[in-house]
Amino acid sequence: MPDDGTSGTTAATGPDAAAPEDAALQEALAAAYAAIWGYGVVGAAVPPETRPAVATAEQAHRDVRDELLTLLSSRDVQPVSAEAAYDLRFPVLSAVDAAALAVTLEEGAATAWTWVLDQAAERGTRELAVAALTATELRAVVWRAQAGRTPVTTALPGLPTS
Amino acid sequence: MSAPCSPTPAGAFSRRALLLAAAAGSAALAAGCTNGAAEDPADAVTPAQADRLAAQVEVQERLVADYAQALAASPQLAASAAVLAAQSREQLDRLRAAAAQPAPSSGATAGTSAAEAVPAEGAVAWLQARVAAAADAHARACPDFTGGRAALLGSIAAGLRAQAGQLS
Repeated sequence: MPDDGTSGTTAATGPDAAAPEDAALQEALAAAYAAIWGYGVVGAAVPPETRPAVATAEQAHRDVRDELLTLLSSRDVQPVSAEAAYDLRFPVLSAVDAAALAVTLEEGAATAWTWVLDQAAERGTRELAVAALTATELRAVVWRAQAGRTPVTTALPGLPTS
Repeated sequence: MSAPCSPTPAGAFSRRALLLAAAAGSAALAAGCTNGAAEDPADAVTPAQADRLAAQVEVQERLVADYAQALAASPQLAASAAVLAAQSREQLDRLRAAAAQPAPSSGATAGTSAAEAVPAEGAVAWLQARVAAAADAHARACPDFTGGRAALLGSIAAGLRAQAGQLS
Protein backbone atom coordinates (compact mmCIF):
# COMPACT_ATOMS: atom_id res chain seq x y z
CA MET A 1 0.00 0.00 0.00
CA PRO A 2 1.37 3.43 -0.77
CA ASP A 3 2.25 5.24 2.40
CA ASP A 4 2.84 8.92 1.86
CA GLY A 5 2.82 9.72 5.53
CA THR A 6 -0.69 11.07 5.51
CA SER A 7 -2.70 7.90 5.59
CA GLY A 8 -2.40 7.26 9.26
CA THR A 9 -1.47 3.65 8.69
CA THR A 10 1.49 1.39 8.96
CA ALA A 11 2.52 0.00 5.60
CA ALA A 12 1.35 -3.52 4.99
CA THR A 13 3.71 -6.19 3.80
CA GLY A 14 1.35 -8.98 2.75
CA PRO A 15 1.74 -10.61 -0.62
CA ASP A 16 -1.41 -8.97 -1.97
CA ALA A 17 -0.81 -5.55 -0.46
CA ALA A 18 -0.35 -4.03 -3.88
CA ALA A 19 -3.72 -5.22 -5.13
CA PRO A 20 -5.94 -2.17 -5.52
CA GLU A 21 -8.91 -3.73 -3.75
CA ASP A 22 -6.86 -4.85 -0.78
CA ALA A 23 -5.13 -1.48 -0.60
CA ALA A 24 -8.50 0.26 -0.53
CA LEU A 25 -9.71 -2.10 2.19
CA GLN A 26 -6.63 -1.22 4.19
CA GLU A 27 -7.60 2.44 3.92
CA ALA A 28 -11.09 1.59 5.16
CA LEU A 29 -9.50 -0.26 8.06
CA ALA A 30 -7.33 2.76 8.82
CA ALA A 31 -10.46 4.94 8.80
CA ALA A 32 -12.15 2.55 11.23
CA TYR A 33 -9.17 2.73 13.58
CA ALA A 34 -9.25 6.51 13.45
CA ALA A 35 -13.00 6.56 14.11
CA ILE A 36 -12.69 4.24 17.10
CA TRP A 37 -10.01 6.47 18.58
CA GLY A 38 -11.88 9.64 17.70
CA TYR A 39 -15.13 8.54 19.27
CA GLY A 40 -13.27 8.25 22.54
CA VAL A 41 -12.67 11.98 22.30
CA VAL A 42 -16.24 12.61 21.22
CA GLY A 43 -17.62 10.64 24.16
CA ALA A 44 -15.64 12.69 26.64
CA ALA A 45 -17.08 15.96 25.35
CA VAL A 46 -20.78 15.23 24.88
CA PRO A 47 -23.49 15.40 27.53
CA PRO A 48 -24.54 12.15 29.20
CA GLU A 49 -27.71 11.82 27.15
CA THR A 50 -25.66 11.68 23.95
CA ARG A 51 -23.18 9.05 25.12
CA PRO A 52 -25.29 6.05 24.10
CA ALA A 53 -25.22 7.31 20.51
CA VAL A 54 -21.47 7.70 20.75
CA ALA A 55 -21.10 4.17 22.08
CA THR A 56 -23.29 2.80 19.30
CA ALA A 57 -21.27 4.59 16.65
CA GLU A 58 -17.97 3.48 18.14
CA GLN A 59 -19.19 -0.11 18.26
CA ALA A 60 -20.23 0.09 14.62
CA HIS A 61 -16.69 1.04 13.68
CA ARG A 62 -15.32 -1.75 15.87
CA ASP A 63 -17.54 -4.19 14.02
CA VAL A 64 -16.29 -2.88 10.68
CA ARG A 65 -12.71 -3.13 11.91
CA ASP A 66 -13.21 -6.74 12.95
CA GLU A 67 -14.86 -7.62 9.63
CA LEU A 68 -12.00 -6.04 7.70
CA LEU A 69 -9.37 -7.76 9.82
CA THR A 70 -11.02 -11.09 9.13
CA LEU A 71 -11.38 -10.38 5.42
CA LEU A 72 -7.80 -9.23 4.93
CA SER A 73 -6.39 -12.06 6.98
CA SER A 74 -8.39 -14.56 4.92
CA ARG A 75 -6.53 -13.21 1.89
CA ASP A 76 -3.14 -13.59 3.57
CA VAL A 77 -2.80 -9.82 3.64
CA GLN A 78 -1.20 -8.35 6.75
CA PRO A 79 -3.71 -5.78 8.01
CA VAL A 80 -2.45 -2.31 8.76
CA SER A 81 -2.11 -1.38 12.41
CA ALA A 82 -3.77 1.43 14.29
CA GLU A 83 -1.72 4.45 15.15
CA ALA A 84 -0.92 5.09 18.79
CA ALA A 85 -2.55 8.52 18.53
CA TYR A 86 -4.11 10.79 15.98
CA ASP A 87 -4.01 14.52 15.38
CA LEU A 88 -7.21 16.40 15.99
CA ARG A 89 -7.86 18.96 13.31
CA PHE A 90 -9.43 21.33 15.82
CA PRO A 91 -9.81 21.53 19.60
CA VAL A 92 -12.76 19.63 21.01
CA LEU A 93 -13.96 21.86 23.80
CA SER A 94 -17.74 21.53 23.59
CA ALA A 95 -20.55 19.23 22.56
CA VAL A 96 -20.75 21.04 19.23
CA ASP A 97 -17.03 20.51 18.68
CA ALA A 98 -17.49 16.84 19.52
CA ALA A 99 -20.30 16.50 17.01
CA ALA A 100 -18.15 18.20 14.40
CA LEU A 101 -15.38 15.71 15.11
CA ALA A 102 -17.85 12.86 14.73
CA VAL A 103 -18.84 14.30 11.35
CA THR A 104 -15.18 14.33 10.37
CA LEU A 105 -14.77 10.73 11.45
CA GLU A 106 -17.81 9.54 9.56
CA GLU A 107 -16.95 11.52 6.45
CA GLY A 108 -13.45 10.06 6.54
CA ALA A 109 -14.97 6.60 6.62
CA ALA A 110 -17.33 7.51 3.79
CA THR A 111 -14.40 8.65 1.65
CA ALA A 112 -12.61 5.39 2.33
CA TRP A 113 -15.63 3.29 1.42
CA THR A 114 -16.34 5.09 -1.83
CA TRP A 115 -12.71 4.42 -2.69
CA VAL A 116 -13.28 0.74 -1.95
CA LEU A 117 -16.24 0.84 -4.33
CA ASP A 118 -14.03 2.42 -6.95
CA GLN A 119 -11.24 -0.11 -6.52
CA ALA A 120 -13.03 -3.35 -5.69
CA ALA A 121 -12.75 -6.19 -8.15
CA GLU A 122 -15.05 -8.54 -6.24
CA ARG A 123 -18.79 -8.09 -6.16
CA GLY A 124 -18.94 -9.14 -2.50
CA THR A 125 -16.55 -6.36 -1.59
CA ARG A 126 -18.76 -3.80 -3.34
CA GLU A 127 -21.78 -5.15 -1.45
CA LEU A 128 -19.87 -4.73 1.80
CA ALA A 129 -18.78 -1.25 0.79
CA VAL A 130 -22.18 0.11 -0.16
CA ALA A 131 -23.64 -1.13 3.14
CA ALA A 132 -20.80 0.41 5.13
CA LEU A 133 -21.02 3.67 3.20
CA THR A 134 -24.74 3.93 3.86
CA ALA A 135 -24.31 3.22 7.56
CA THR A 136 -21.63 5.86 7.96
CA GLU A 137 -23.69 8.47 6.12
CA LEU A 138 -26.70 7.78 8.34
CA ARG A 139 -24.54 8.43 11.38
CA ALA A 140 -23.03 11.52 9.79
CA VAL A 141 -26.50 13.00 9.33
CA VAL A 142 -27.17 12.77 13.06
CA TRP A 143 -23.87 14.41 13.95
CA ARG A 144 -24.24 17.17 11.36
CA ALA A 145 -27.53 18.09 13.01
CA GLN A 146 -25.93 18.17 16.43
CA ALA A 147 -23.07 20.25 15.06
CA GLY A 148 -25.61 22.75 13.75
CA ARG A 149 -24.77 22.18 10.11
CA THR A 150 -27.24 22.59 7.32
CA PRO A 151 -28.17 20.79 5.27
CA VAL A 152 -27.63 17.63 7.24
CA THR A 153 -27.71 15.46 4.14
CA THR A 154 -25.30 15.45 1.23
CA ALA A 155 -26.02 14.54 -2.36
CA LEU A 156 -22.91 12.45 -2.83
CA PRO A 157 -21.47 11.10 0.42
CA GLY A 158 -17.82 10.20 0.20
CA LEU A 159 -17.24 11.83 -3.17
CA PRO A 160 -15.56 15.20 -3.61
CA THR A 161 -17.80 18.14 -4.23
CA SER A 162 -17.75 19.54 -7.74
CA MET B 1 4.21 11.29 15.79
CA SER B 2 0.49 11.01 15.43
CA ALA B 3 -1.62 10.51 12.34
CA PRO B 4 -4.42 12.67 11.02
CA CYS B 5 -7.69 11.73 12.65
CA SER B 6 -9.38 11.32 9.31
CA PRO B 7 -6.88 9.58 7.08
CA THR B 8 -7.14 10.26 3.40
CA PRO B 9 -6.96 7.22 1.15
CA ALA B 10 -3.52 7.26 -0.38
CA GLY B 11 -3.63 8.36 -3.96
CA ALA B 12 -7.37 8.70 -3.88
CA PHE B 13 -7.86 12.30 -4.63
CA SER B 14 -5.72 12.60 -7.72
CA ARG B 15 -7.71 9.85 -9.35
CA ARG B 16 -10.94 11.02 -7.73
CA ALA B 17 -10.46 14.38 -9.34
CA LEU B 18 -10.26 12.67 -12.69
CA LEU B 19 -13.30 10.55 -11.97
CA LEU B 20 -15.12 13.65 -10.92
CA ALA B 21 -14.22 15.33 -14.16
CA ALA B 22 -15.43 12.35 -16.13
CA ALA B 23 -18.59 12.05 -14.06
CA ALA B 24 -19.28 15.73 -14.57
CA GLY B 25 -18.98 15.27 -18.28
CA SER B 26 -16.16 17.75 -18.52
CA ALA B 27 -14.49 16.93 -21.79
CA ALA B 28 -11.86 19.57 -21.25
CA LEU B 29 -10.83 18.19 -17.88
CA ALA B 30 -10.98 14.61 -19.05
CA ALA B 31 -8.89 15.44 -22.08
CA GLY B 32 -6.36 16.99 -19.76
CA CYS B 33 -5.67 13.69 -18.06
CA THR B 34 -2.19 12.61 -18.86
CA ASN B 35 -1.54 9.89 -16.33
CA GLY B 36 -3.86 7.32 -17.85
CA ALA B 37 -6.16 7.16 -14.85
CA ALA B 38 -9.18 8.12 -16.93
CA GLU B 39 -8.56 5.05 -19.04
CA ASP B 40 -8.66 2.67 -16.11
CA PRO B 41 -10.28 -0.56 -17.31
CA ALA B 42 -12.51 -0.50 -14.24
CA ASP B 43 -14.16 2.59 -15.67
CA ALA B 44 -14.83 1.06 -19.06
CA VAL B 45 -18.50 0.37 -19.67
CA THR B 46 -19.80 -2.67 -21.49
CA PRO B 47 -23.03 -2.39 -23.50
CA ALA B 48 -24.84 -4.35 -20.78
CA GLN B 49 -23.55 -1.97 -18.12
CA ALA B 50 -24.61 1.00 -20.25
CA ASP B 51 -28.14 -0.38 -20.31
CA ARG B 52 -28.14 -0.91 -16.56
CA LEU B 53 -26.78 2.57 -15.96
CA ALA B 54 -29.51 4.00 -18.17
CA ALA B 55 -31.99 2.18 -15.95
CA GLN B 56 -30.53 3.89 -12.89
CA VAL B 57 -30.81 7.25 -14.66
CA GLU B 58 -34.50 6.49 -15.15
CA VAL B 59 -34.88 5.62 -11.47
CA GLN B 60 -33.39 8.98 -10.57
CA GLU B 61 -35.47 10.84 -13.14
CA ARG B 62 -38.61 9.37 -11.60
CA LEU B 63 -37.43 10.43 -8.16
CA VAL B 64 -36.76 13.99 -9.30
CA ALA B 65 -40.26 14.07 -10.78
CA ASP B 66 -41.68 12.65 -7.55
CA TYR B 67 -39.96 15.38 -5.56
CA ALA B 68 -41.38 18.05 -7.86
CA GLN B 69 -44.85 16.60 -7.60
CA ALA B 70 -44.74 16.21 -3.83
CA LEU B 71 -43.38 19.70 -3.24
CA ALA B 72 -46.07 21.15 -5.47
CA ALA B 73 -48.75 19.28 -3.56
CA SER B 74 -47.56 20.00 -0.04
CA PRO B 75 -46.60 23.43 1.28
CA GLN B 76 -44.98 21.66 4.22
CA LEU B 77 -42.67 19.74 1.92
CA ALA B 78 -42.04 22.76 -0.25
CA ALA B 79 -40.62 24.48 2.79
CA SER B 80 -38.77 21.58 4.34
CA ALA B 81 -37.60 19.41 1.47
CA ALA B 82 -36.41 21.86 -1.16
CA VAL B 83 -32.79 21.12 -0.30
CA LEU B 84 -33.40 17.39 -0.61
CA ALA B 85 -35.02 17.92 -3.99
CA ALA B 86 -32.02 19.94 -5.14
CA GLN B 87 -29.71 17.16 -4.00
CA SER B 88 -31.73 14.63 -5.98
CA ARG B 89 -31.27 16.79 -9.08
CA GLU B 90 -27.54 17.01 -8.45
CA GLN B 91 -27.43 13.24 -8.24
CA LEU B 92 -29.33 12.99 -11.52
CA ASP B 93 -26.88 15.33 -13.20
CA ARG B 94 -23.97 13.15 -12.10
CA LEU B 95 -25.70 9.98 -13.23
CA ARG B 96 -26.51 11.45 -16.62
CA ALA B 97 -22.92 12.56 -17.02
CA ALA B 98 -21.66 9.11 -16.08
CA ALA B 99 -24.10 7.56 -18.55
CA ALA B 100 -23.22 10.13 -21.21
CA GLN B 101 -26.86 11.13 -21.40
CA PRO B 102 -27.51 14.84 -21.94
CA ALA B 103 -30.21 16.50 -19.92
CA PRO B 104 -33.43 17.07 -21.88
CA SER B 105 -33.28 20.51 -23.50
CA SER B 106 -36.77 21.32 -22.26
CA GLY B 107 -35.68 20.84 -18.68
CA ALA B 108 -38.32 18.19 -18.27
CA THR B 109 -37.33 14.76 -17.07
CA ALA B 110 -37.17 12.04 -19.66
CA GLY B 111 -38.17 8.44 -19.38
CA THR B 112 -40.56 8.99 -16.52
CA SER B 113 -43.75 7.08 -16.25
CA ALA B 114 -47.14 8.69 -15.83
CA ALA B 115 -47.24 10.68 -12.63
CA GLU B 116 -48.95 9.07 -9.67
CA ALA B 117 -51.09 11.42 -7.65
CA VAL B 118 -49.69 12.50 -4.34
CA PRO B 119 -52.19 11.67 -1.61
CA ALA B 120 -53.79 14.70 -0.04
CA GLU B 121 -52.90 13.32 3.36
CA GLY B 122 -49.54 11.71 3.85
CA ALA B 123 -47.47 13.42 1.18
CA VAL B 124 -44.37 13.08 3.36
CA ALA B 125 -44.80 9.33 3.73
CA TRP B 126 -45.53 9.04 0.00
CA LEU B 127 -42.32 10.82 -0.84
CA GLN B 128 -40.31 8.96 1.77
CA ALA B 129 -41.36 5.64 0.26
CA ARG B 130 -40.21 6.77 -3.17
CA VAL B 131 -36.88 8.05 -1.91
CA ALA B 132 -36.29 4.79 -0.06
CA ALA B 133 -37.21 2.77 -3.15
CA ALA B 134 -34.77 4.74 -5.27
CA ALA B 135 -32.05 4.26 -2.65
CA ASP B 136 -32.70 0.53 -2.67
CA ALA B 137 -32.61 0.40 -6.47
CA HIS B 138 -29.26 2.18 -6.65
CA ALA B 139 -27.81 0.07 -3.84
CA ARG B 140 -28.86 -3.12 -5.60
CA ALA B 141 -27.38 -1.93 -8.88
CA CYS B 142 -24.12 -0.65 -7.39
CA PRO B 143 -22.31 -4.02 -7.15
CA ASP B 144 -23.05 -4.68 -10.84
CA PHE B 145 -20.61 -1.90 -11.75
CA THR B 146 -16.92 -1.31 -11.26
CA GLY B 147 -14.75 1.74 -10.87
CA GLY B 148 -16.13 5.23 -10.61
CA ARG B 149 -19.65 4.22 -11.56
CA ALA B 150 -19.84 1.80 -8.64
CA ALA B 151 -18.64 4.59 -6.37
CA LEU B 152 -21.20 6.99 -7.80
CA LEU B 153 -24.14 4.62 -7.43
CA GLY B 154 -23.09 3.65 -3.92
CA SER B 155 -22.73 7.27 -2.94
CA ILE B 156 -26.13 8.19 -4.34
CA ALA B 157 -27.73 5.22 -2.60
CA ALA B 158 -26.24 6.32 0.72
CA GLY B 159 -27.31 9.90 0.18
CA LEU B 160 -30.87 8.91 -0.62
CA ARG B 161 -31.11 6.55 2.33
CA ALA B 162 -30.18 9.49 4.55
CA GLN B 163 -32.77 11.65 2.79
CA ALA B 164 -35.45 9.05 3.50
CA GLY B 165 -34.56 9.27 7.17
CA GLN B 166 -35.11 13.01 7.09
CA LEU B 167 -38.57 12.55 5.65
CA SER B 168 -39.81 10.26 8.41
